[in-house]
Amino acid sequence: MKLLVVEDDAAVGEHLVRSLKEAGHTVDHAANGRDGLMLAGGESYDVILLDRMLPGVDGMTILRTLRSSSVRTPILIVTSLDGIDDRVEGLEAGGDDYLVKPFAFAELLARVNALARRPPSQGAPTVLQVGDLRVDILKRAVTRGGNRIEIQPREFQLLDYLMRHTGRVVTRTMLLAAVWNFHFDPKTNIVETHISRLRGKINRGSDPELIHTVRGAGYCLREPE
Amino acid sequence: MKVRSISLRLALIYTTAFAVAVAVLGVVMLIATHAALADQFRTRIQAESTALAQEYKIEGLNGVLQAVQERDRTPGALDYGLESPAGAPLAGHLAQAKAPLGWSNYSVRQGDKTEVERLWAVALPDGHRLIVGDDLERVEALDSIVMGGFALALCGIVALGGLGGYWLSLGVQRRFAAMSAVAEAISDGDLRQRMAVRETGDDLDQLGSTVNRMLDRIAALMDSLRQVSNDVAHDLRTPLTRLRQRLEAALASPDSDARRTFEASLDDLDAILQTFAALLRIAQIEGGARRAGFRQVDLSEIAALVVESFAPSAEEGGRALLIEEVGPAPIDGDRELLTQMLVNLVENGLNHTPVGATVRVIVAGGAAPSLTVVDNGPGAPAQEYAKLFDRFYRLEHSRSTPGSGLGLSLVAAVAKLHGAQVSLYDAAPGLGARVSFP
Repeated sequence: MKLLVVEDDAAVGEHLVRSLKEAGHTVDHAANGRDGLMLAGGESYDVILLDRMLPGVDGMTILRTLRSSSVRTPILIVTSLDGIDDRVEGLEAGGDDYLVKPFAFAELLARVNALARRPPSQGAPTVLQVGDLRVDILKRAVTRGGNRIEIQPREFQLLDYLMRHTGRVVTRTMLLAAVWNFHFDPKTNIVETHISRLRGKINRGSDPELIHTVRGAGYCLREPE
Repeated sequence: MKVRSISLRLALIYTTAFAVAVAVLGVVMLIATHAALADQFRTRIQAESTALAQEYKIEGLNGVLQAVQERDRTPGALDYGLESPAGAPLAGHLAQAKAPLGWSNYSVRQGDKTEVERLWAVALPDGHRLIVGDDLERVEALDSIVMGGFALALCGIVALGGLGGYWLSLGVQRRFAAMSAVAEAISDGDLRQRMAVRETGDDLDQLGSTVNRMLDRIAALMDSLRQVSNDVAHDLRTPLTRLRQRLEAALASPDSDARRTFEASLDDLDAILQTFAALLRIAQIEGGARRAGFRQVDLSEIAALVVESFAPSAEEGGRALLIEEVGPAPIDGDRELLTQMLVNLVENGLNHTPVGATVRVIVAGGAAPSLTVVDNGPGAPAQEYAKLFDRFYRLEHSRSTPGSGLGLSLVAAVAKLHGAQVSLYDAAPGLGARVSFP
């Protein structure tokens, strides 16, 4: 994937670029707002990582400029401002996702991957299938190998989110926000508990595991090898 | 000249405007009295002239001659003159004036000054000319009396206005100077200073109390900020020291498991960051800015979400989490903060009770909506209730359980933001926490 990192802090910028390259991406780095705007407008990237506070042209200005000149590249806003208002402003200005510093690199990578392969919003599929697991969104029906599985609404939402991100890592924070609408981190392991209940329901008998735990990052739903 | 004091400047402007008004009034008065006097002056001369002409009709020329001579000698009366048709003076000292018919002026030298007289000459039927006149000085003297009076009044007004304005401005200036001194002291760092406010409640007092309220608010914010920095310094030092020791120990022993050290260090760091985030969040809530985003939310909806989400984890931990609700309980509030508040209360209940305990969430609607979380665990000593809301405060027996000691501080902050009362009570056995909304 081709990524652009707009980050003015030299240490953070370098670390991001190196880590993303190690993860197999092609990465350009802009150290200030003007370079960032130039590169983002000129080149074609899969995802842009945009620091919110930049010298010269700030992140929100870049975001608005790009969106008003119909650049539709997915943009992940990386910021140390975590107020709700800041988040809302960032997303309303055309950001696709919002990540608050400090963050684990795994979290960043998961979000970048989620953004890059986000399907076009129109014409979303109504039936999702991974291996022999089938989820009918409209009928709210889950079957595995043709057998009907009864799951609770919250578990359905969780499964739905995992299915839509098949093959990609989703983090605890992403799940808390998407499934529970919690923008804070409870101490209780509610994500783990729900995942384990969901696993218990979809892995009956000796069915191969579909929901894999990714150590230090989160979960990934994928077909068994 | 530039006048720096606003009050003095206002007094000056006011006095000047008043003085100009008085001057204009004076001029108008002068013109009016002058016109009235001049009219009266002429009327008197013409009336006298008519009376003498009447005398001529009745008594003939001799009668007029006699009357003119008589009246001309009377002191304080008008001046008279009678000329023959040929122009020869017959009687009265105005007979030499050679005045034309109608109105005319006549200058008379008396010693070293010249007096101007206003004359009215008429021809008698037989050609004699009768002249009646009076000294214009009488009118002018009245003019100057009026003018003098107004000039005196003007001087008085200017002097009084100036002095009064100066005196008033001194008073106001003293109050401004006092306010300015307080502001200086505050900007020098003494935030306890307050503006002096008098009983009268005038504009300056109102300004003073507004400024005082602003200062109270700033002082409160500063206190909260200082509190947060103290808390951060105090409570982050322990985990940071632990982290440092762990890394030092790992560095000192070459055969230590680097991977495990890193993992443990990352856990430590995450805990520190979480504490940090919680502190910032509490400070942000206490700042009150989120009140702007209040919407109508249903407490029972929030309670249902939290209980449904946490019940499985509670069950796995061997505890029961139940909900008791009675219909919708709508209030104006911040959904996310209220959710987090309830989560903290529920987690408190789950974390500080033994296995087998039950935590109940009770929602009350109606006129007095409230959220209650009650457990049947060991509870807490009543004298500790108030302290439980302090940042980082933890009960002795709960120091071993995980937690930052910030959970109830956040509850208190969210409750306060919503104008709600939060109270703890003994549920015998167990601890109850109730948040009552207004």
